Amino acid sequence: MREKHFWGWPIAGYLTLGGLGGCMMIYAVVTDLFFDSGDVFALCALAAAALLGLGSSFLIFELGRPTQFWRVFSAQKAVLTFGAWMVLALIGVSVVYFSFWTGWFPWSQMESLRKVVAGLGLLLGTGVVLYTGIELASFKARAFWNTPALPVLFAVSGLLTGAAADSLLAGLWPFAGSEAALASVREVLRSLCIVLVVFDFIVVMLYVLMMYTSSNPTARRAASRWLSGSFAAPFWGGLVAFGHVAPLSLYALGGVVAAVIASVLVIVGGVFLRFLVVYSDDRRLFAGEERYWERLPKGDEAFLEAWE
Amino acid sequence: MTRYAMVMDTRRCIACHSCTVACRTFNDLPLDMIYNPVLTDGPVGVYPNLHMNHMPLLCMHCDTPPCVHVCPTGASKQEDDGIVWVKAETCIGCKTCIQACPYNARHIDHALGVVAKCDFCKDRVRAGKEPHCVKTCHQRARIFGDLDDPASDVSRLVNSLNTIQLLEELETDPQVFYILGTGGQG
Repeated sequence: MREKHFWGWPIAGYLTLGGLGGCMMIYAVVTDLFFDSGDVFALCALAAAALLGLGSSFLIFELGRPTQFWRVFSAQKAVLTFGAWMVLALIGVSVVYFSFWTGWFPWSQMESLRKVVAGLGLLLGTGVVLYTGIELASFKARAFWNTPALPVLFAVSGLLTGAAADSLLAGLWPFAGSEAALASVREVLRSLCIVLVVFDFIVVMLYVLMMYTSSNPTARRAASRWLSGSFAAPFWGGLVAFGHVAPLSLYALGGVVAAVIASVLVIVGGVFLRFLVVYSDDRRLFAGEERYWERLPKGDEAFLEAWE
Repeated sequence: MTRYAMVMDTRRCIACHSCTVACRTFNDLPLDMIYNPVLTDGPVGVYPNLHMNHMPLLCMHCDTPPCVHVCPTGASKQEDDGIVWVKAETCIGCKTCIQACPYNARHIDHALGVVAKCDFCKDRVRAGKEPHCVKTCHQRARIFGDLDDPASDVSRLVNSLNTIQLLEELETDPQVFYILGTGGQG
């Protein structure tokens, strides 16, 4: 018996939520630090913390020994350990950053302190968005992942899904500004999303085509699956049509409802991308290996049931 | 210093799978776990000159083990004598090391939720015995010893014959060396 994939949907979910949460926080603090309108995206910081927490719970669920998850913080050099610390810190910083906007706490009026926390959030958000791609790209055993382009792919997708998610939450409590200001922010977001959808589409296609024309036969095999094999339906249908073409059309159409549907579709596209990447964990097989594993019992044979 | 290594003389291997059975029996492995499969490729060639190629595998105990470097808990370890192993007590079963291993040498133990792998039968070899797979191999296709000892069989073979390391281009520096040849002809 041989497992086809060692990582399943919880990892794909975590990768989506990690990029999403990290970029939501990045947009929230960037608008505060550089455009002085952080109140529009204040709730996004709290949502980012919630999504990162949910993603972390997916990670824990995937573990063979979930109750021992705390050990992930114990190594000194592993990328995963750095990532775990950054995610934990970002969740804390996001919650603290959000607390400045509520007006409930003594520090709520301390703008300079909020800016410091925002700067910290920017650094940690960037780290969280990048480390997942770097982790996967470091696996020499997995030809489809083992390229410096993977962190770029994940980062651009994170920027797109983060912008889409932030546009869904923009202007919600505790924002107390004018409707006109909110409308102008939404217009900027719509333009940003259009640019990012196009850019993300280009990056995705370049990545797949780069793998399809790679000198590595394992990478080529995985890319072929995306373009015309068993992954063609989720790739062309889920990622390209639902995740890029449809949102682009809706954003271009304009209007609040169209923008909301487009943003949801963009996030769905991000989920498809992470699933496709996680399940493209092809390893180079040795001569005769495939046949060896195929000939072993699958686990549902009558003699095995009799054995047990 | 001791540096354990293994030489696979594929000219001698007849794919009897005795090593696989011995490993599973003595290490009491679950039914779905195999540390040392023996792959067979072929028949290759043109009739009547046909032959089978047999490739015994196991953990390569790489000198630069990618599985150890990615472990977020330090459960994956490399000893001074080169043996790579997993300390089950501190493994959380994140499977990152499985993804990092190019040789499919790591396996998830579903019952315990941890990663398991060949450890060169470290308790035996440190007691001066051979790993079970080596002891069982009646064709002497598996040769085990200290690579740093010039008098050892592995040192002699690695330094005198044209051995190869699997997936050498990945720069993991496997400590399992292969003498390539036609199966059962050694």
